[in-house]
Amino acid sequence: MFRFQSLDEDCTLEKEEGLVEEEDEIDQFNDDTFGDGAIDDDWQEEHKRLAELEEQKNDGLGGLGLGTLGMGGMGGGNASTVHLPPPASRVPHPSSLPPPHHSLSSIPPPGLEERGGGDLAESLAMLILGVDPAIASVGGPAGPDDRSTGLPPPPSIPQQHHHPSQLPPHHQLTPSGLPPGPPHLSLLSYQQHQHLLRRGAAPMQQMNSHNIWENNLGFGPVSITPGLITQMEDSPLMSIIKEVGLPNRPPPMMSEDGRDLSERAPPPRSSSPVIGSPPVRAVPIGTPPKQPMSHAMNHHHHQQIHHPTAIHVRAPVQHRYPPSFPERISPNTLLNIANSPLCRPPFPAGVGPVLSQIQRAQMLNSQVAGFPRGCQGPPLLPGGGGFRPFFGQPPPHRMGPHPGGPPPPNHNHVPCPIIRHNTTHLHPQHRRMLTQRMQSRGGERGGRVGDWRSRDPYSNLMSQREKEWVAKIQMMQLQSTDPYLDDYYYQNYFEKLEKRQERDRDGVRKEHTTKLITPQVAKLEHTYRPVQFAGSLGKLTVSSVNNPRKMIDTVVTSRTDDEEKREKQVWNKRRQILYTVEKMYSLLLEVQDFEKRFMQTPEEQREALLEQHKTHTLQLYSSLKEKEWDDRVSDEQCLLIMSVRKGKRLISRLIPFLPPLQAATVVMGIARNLPALAKKDKQDQVLCWLVEPIAVVISSLSSASLTDLLQELQGSEGQLSRVLQNKFGVTLLYLILSEGERMQSSNPTCQLMDDNRWTELVFSVTRELLNVPSSSLSPPLFTPPNLLSLFSRYVDRQRLELLQEKLQISALSRCVWGCA
Amino acid sequence: MTIQHNTGTLPSQEKHLVLLRDGRTLIGFLRSIDQFANLVFHQTVERIHVGKKFGDIPRGIFIVRGENVVLLGEIDMDKPCDTVLQQVSIEEILEEQRLQQQAKQETEKAKVTALKDRGLSIPKADNLDEY
Repeated sequence: MFRFQSLDEDCTLEKEEGLVEEEDEIDQFNDDTFGDGAIDDDWQEEHKRLAELEEQKNDGLGGLGLGTLGMGGMGGGNASTVHLPPPASRVPHPSSLPPPHHSLSSIPPPGLEERGGGDLAESLAMLILGVDPAIASVGGPAGPDDRSTGLPPPPSIPQQHHHPSQLPPHHQLTPSGLPPGPPHLSLLSYQQHQHLLRRGAAPMQQMNSHNIWENNLGFGPVSITPGLITQMEDSPLMSIIKEVGLPNRPPPMMSEDGRDLSERAPPPRSSSPVIGSPPVRAVPIGTPPKQPMSHAMNHHHHQQIHHPTAIHVRAPVQHRYPPSFPERISPNTLLNIANSPLCRPPFPAGVGPVLSQIQRAQMLNSQVAGFPRGCQGPPLLPGGGGFRPFFGQPPPHRMGPHPGGPPPPNHNHVPCPIIRHNTTHLHPQHRRMLTQRMQSRGGERGGRVGDWRSRDPYSNLMSQREKEWVAKIQMMQLQSTDPYLDDYYYQNYFEKLEKRQERDRDGVRKEHTTKLITPQVAKLEHTYRPVQFAGSLGKLTVSSVNNPRKMIDTVVTSRTDDEEKREKQVWNKRRQILYTVEKMYSLLLEVQDFEKRFMQTPEEQREALLEQHKTHTLQLYSSLKEKEWDDRVSDEQCLLIMSVRKGKRLISRLIPFLPPLQAATVVMGIARNLPALAKKDKQDQVLCWLVEPIAVVISSLSSASLTDLLQELQGSEGQLSRVLQNKFGVTLLYLILSEGERMQSSNPTCQLMDDNRWTELVFSVTRELLNVPSSSLSPPLFTPPNLLSLFSRYVDRQRLELLQEKLQISALSRCVWGCA
Repeated sequence: MTIQHNTGTLPSQEKHLVLLRDGRTLIGFLRSIDQFANLVFHQTVERIHVGKKFGDIPRGIFIVRGENVVLLGEIDMDKPCDTVLQQVSIEEILEEQRLQQQAKQETEKAKVTALKDRGLSIPKADNLDEY
């Protein structure tokens, strides 16, 4: 809205000029000379005059320029001191007021000479007094409506009636507290409102300095880069407005500092980034930096006290030339700005310095390097102190006068690149190289830059802050407490480079390679605790990059001690057994592989190997056997091992390798503990693995041992029955019996019969077999054929038949063996 | 890093060249960048290289999603440009590209057939982009 609207300006200008010429009574020099303070009228008289004005207004429309309106608006700010020209004279138009000290116009451009007469001035004054909100609407991107609501109905200036026809479309906000002509306002076109606002803005400039009348309405003539002007005015305007404390003004409008509605640059973003693990914040980490609000405003805030009626606001000098541009302007606007001063026809001399001053101010203050410097006017002022309202927060590291970034490689500045604070993580050599590169490039580019930049209006899309923010994020990745660990090759590369350079330069000074010393970044533990409201279910989570959403709620549960102990015990024991088994297995495997190895080893070493083998086997057996007794297998151990399936397997594989005696003892042990084993084997049912090796063993048993074995098998009371219930047991029994039979039948001189034991045992077996119900008799793995003959020796026919039936010993087999 | 050292100057005094994951090369004024390396390019030109020739296709404004960026670099206008590359018109370069693609496809096809005859199969690389 404050941007220039060239067409309108043209029109206005012409019309204003027309007006001015015909206004003889305008004492344009009055205010020039004396300024606001020169006039000191009694307000009551003023009021009367204004009242008259109001009446006369209805007669005709005056071609009251927009300047008047502006003045009215501006005047509103200066509530208390209304310095009006003497009634007799025409109203010192704002434009005719003497320019400020730093005025941008020495001679008020003709266009904005006062429109009305003294009455006008008075009415304006009244308007100013009366209507604070007017200022608000002037300052903001308000549309016509704002205007209308804000202002009292604009009275027409009666004096203007001479030129009713001249500016029919132009209406003015006449400074009258009296009622109306609302139609006037409503008739104002949007464009005209824009003008009004702009003009209004112009006079507002004055608020910075002494008085309202003393304005640099040298800006006023819209012909002079109005866009520029208005921009410059915006901030002080805004600051003034803030000071005045206009309640109506909605805060969000503040941020839209002079933004052109039609050519709006991207809106300010919402919040500043927080790098690092944040506490719970409203905005996630990835938000880019906030657009800085008009810093002049903020600055002003900090520095000034708010006056409710801030007429005599003494703005600091800095505010005179506020940042010409807010941080971001749309490129189109920029283009316009760039073009207008260049394209405009030159103005009367008085205007000249205005231009240059504007330029100067803008150049100095411009955060936007892309500002057209085609008009290379006066060289950049070195300090630019007075012209640098935009302080922002000049980082301590910054060198050069510029508030923003390393100084553009302009002629006036020393082309020393600024060491960024966030480059500490680069290797010193790397940094050196980069700065060298910068310098060289800066030197080269110095001359060309200005020209180049004038043609690149889009270059200001990223603010300095944003660029730094992105750079900061990237540099953060280089933070590390151990660079040699994290980025070994980078470190080494630069060290090598350094060494090479030293070598090339003949390394006179033997400075040792610079090592990167990273600042020790304290790795803080940022534990995120989700926000939880009392009495609510669940927890709020603000997830961000550094504290992602919790997916699983893990809770530590501790079981009761007893349970745990028991469980532990069980597991421990099992683990222990398995462990033992494992160890034995490894030995066993070696033993098993012995033969193969034996073949492979050369002669000399064979004996050693043999020895080894023996040791192993011995070891194996020893692990099984009873502590003290050599000829007895530890029941406990045996049981333990056999309780595990793996253990059973182990035993079955082990037995063949044991020397016969030891093997026999093992088998004895098995037989002895058969019931228990059987019970434990219920799940696995793998005892039968043992059958084969045991069979082998049995066949090699002596009669005495056999008898012993049988005895063992029978063991205690009721053992046999249990044995019979188990498949393996039955099988084993049969094996034994068949072996015995074989012995007897093959070798009549066998000692088996000598000992009564055998007979007795067999008897008991047969007895048991007969007694045991068929159902509980477990079918064996196989039935040795010679059982029947065995039984036939000991039992009578009747029983034999019974047995036969029970055991399902086939007749065939009987036949086969019968003759034996 | 260019940006951090040239943050005084704009990211758009010099042209930038970005190589995308699909192999395209874009040249233009880098107007904006963010932490994900999303890029805003202005007055972009897509440069196609075929053999010793290249062609520029003006594309306007590009917004590139950061994950597709392979590398990004500044074009140094100062460096003498003494390349052997020869610029040709757009039509020509597109034609060249088409021919190149065609040739490539044919060789690929032949390879696949040969492998198939031997009972082997190699999955096409473009599907494995992510792994």
